[in-house]
Amino acid sequence: MATSTKILALAVLAVLPLLMNASTCIGPQVTSNVYTTSEASMSISTVFVVEVAVKCNNGEKDLLLFADVNGHMVPATQSGTGKFQVSWSDEHKKLPAGTYGVRFFDEEGYNAVRKEKRSGTDGSAVTPIFTVNVKHSGTWTGPYVQTEFVATCVALLVWYMAYRSKSFLMS
Amino acid sequence: MKSLFLLVVVFVAVRSDNDDHAARLLASKSILNQFIVEGKELTVEYSIYNVGSSQAYNVELSDSSFPEEDFQRVSGSLNVKWDRLAVGANVSHAVILKPLRPGYANFTAAQVKYYPTEESQAVQVGYTTAPGEAGIVGLKDYERRFSPHIVDWATFAIMTLPSIGFPFLLWYRSKSKYDVKHKKN
Repeated sequence: MATSTKILALAVLAVLPLLMNASTCIGPQVTSNVYTTSEASMSISTVFVVEVAVKCNNGEKDLLLFADVNGHMVPATQSGTGKFQVSWSDEHKKLPAGTYGVRFFDEEGYNAVRKEKRSGTDGSAVTPIFTVNVKHSGTWTGPYVQTEFVATCVALLVWYMAYRSKSFLMS
Repeated sequence: MKSLFLLVVVFVAVRSDNDDHAARLLASKSILNQFIVEGKELTVEYSIYNVGSSQAYNVELSDSSFPEEDFQRVSGSLNVKWDRLAVGANVSHAVILKPLRPGYANFTAAQVKYYPTEESQAVQVGYTTAPGEAGIVGLKDYERRFSPHIVDWATFAIMTLPSIGFPFLLWYRSKSKYDVKHKKN
């Protein structure tokens, strides 16, 4: 009789996750599309846009995603079934070139991160559902040296060389 | 005096009853470009702020002011949904487009639809701020003013070569002849 109760308990435990209404994604397949601002004259602040298409192995359709953006938790917008978008912007100086890791959480993960943040830690111990790496090659604010400046320098150099050789000849 | 005080109390009670536990969303739409150039990226940023006293449900932002034939979508979606917006939440959404034609464009407001409370059946419709009219500069005009013109300068350098090179060549020839004569002597 003890074994039968054990088996019953095991069966209940096995079925329990399916009965719970938590919208988790098991085995997500993610395709991501990332955009970062490339020219400073096209935007007064650097904007990052991350679009993800998520397909869950357990066929989860009502997934709610939250993203950890630079230590700040934002809800991801839904632009279609399984399609999410996260965007954030800041001054050009504050978003230099480099790779930014964006962690995506479901509701459980989001609550866990919030709890960790409230207890003082930075929430980096919570495992995300998936992470998207955003490679930003920097925002181009113009050439180092203007071509007009270079042309003027070359012209002055040529003139100087001619003047020197002329004075050398005349002496 | 007492009746005035009573009136004020009733007025405050009635007012607070009206917006008790309902969400209120303020939305703004702004163009982040310094210059809007044909064929170059146009960055549009939307910000939604919940100033009400309850969560907003099923928030939907839809912008139909960028027709497909005039603006090509580069990144981001013009129709997005948030499941819930908490009290005091400030969310932003960005869309990157590419204008396909120069000229004047009127950037009008986008629509925001949401349910102010969990039980409300009527959807609340609001609009973002509108950035207004702006000109889309043609690519040629923008490049004429801002591109580095490397090819133009290189062409100029090649064109000045004859007028500098020719006298130099003459002098060099005569110089080398004179040097040879000097050595002979």
